Amino acid sequence: MPVPPASGTGRYYALAAKSIRLIRQGCTNRPFFHISVTQRKRLNSQPVIEQLGSYDPMPNMNNEKLVALNLERLKFWLGQGAHVTPPVAELLGLSGFFPIHPRSYMTAWRNRRAEKERLEKEETAQSTS
Amino acid sequence: MMSQRYSLRCSFPLIIQIAEAHRKPRWLPIAKSKIYRIPKRPEISQEERLELRRINNNYNTKMRAIRRFYAEEWVREKSTLESATSEMSQRLEADEWLRCEELNEMWNKTIAAEREERRAQELTIMEEYSLARMEAKDKDLRERISKASAKIRKEKELCTTFVTPENLEETIDRILSNTVDYNFAIDLKGNTYQGRDSNIQNEDKKIQASN
Repeated sequence: MPVPPASGTGRYYALAAKSIRLIRQGCTNRPFFHISVTQRKRLNSQPVIEQLGSYDPMPNMNNEKLVALNLERLKFWLGQGAHVTPPVAELLGLSGFFPIHPRSYMTAWRNRRAEKERLEKEETAQSTS
Repeated sequence: MMSQRYSLRCSFPLIIQIAEAHRKPRWLPIAKSKIYRIPKRPEISQEERLELRRINNNYNTKMRAIRRFYAEEWVREKSTLESATSEMSQRLEADEWLRCEELNEMWNKTIAAEREERRAQELTIMEEYSLARMEAKDKDLRERISKASAKIRKEKELCTTFVTPENLEETIDRILSNTVDYNFAIDLKGNTYQGRDSNIQNEDKKIQASN
């Protein structure tokens, strides 16, 4: 089965629920995501209604994870009542379009706590030795 | 394999096995070794739970506001678009159209001038080319005519000696009266002896005779 095109070909019903989600487009060991609008009940392998951006989760040579967004169309689809999946909401929160997603806060404080515990453990190990 | 479009058009739900790596099909039961396994629940402290609830509530409130804002903006935009199509935008469009036409005419004029120039140039080049060709052809023809006339002259010179029915008898008489014998003999030294009846003196015999 050929890979569905990135944008513009998906048939959709005006009244059906839409969702803005990440759709994996990379290959093995190389994730790459399109941020697309689809009908909410459709699979990620099916054609999308429209592509709104892209997300490259692998840091590039400048240690950046690149996100591209079409904010105008995003506004339009939000006005149409499209749902936003949590990963996309997190990205939008970090980009400043939405408020920061609670999950971002949660992972941040958990990472901070883990780091603190690791440092404490190291210190105790050094003091005992 | 059915096409994706067909699967989209179908009204009844279709079960399609999408090829996903490392997944067993939905209809296979739980593995025997995993039947009584109870997954461990994540441990979240009360403090963290409360904090999460608080920030989630805040987030949901903000998101609701944002959603409503964009929905209302969409409605507003739509209404302005609809009102604009009536007078203002039509006038604007007409002005734009006129401006475009003027610009287009200007471009057309410049391009027409360029085209005329180019065509004149092309015409002169073509004329030169055709004249050169015609001259070459004339020259060739003249050469051929001169060659042919030279050949004709030569033939005419030759044709004075031709045998015709008028002078046939005469010629036969002439030939018979003075026959030419083309036979000849040749010896080892390369001396030729013309004629069939010419007298040949043998040198060896001559030498013997002298002795």
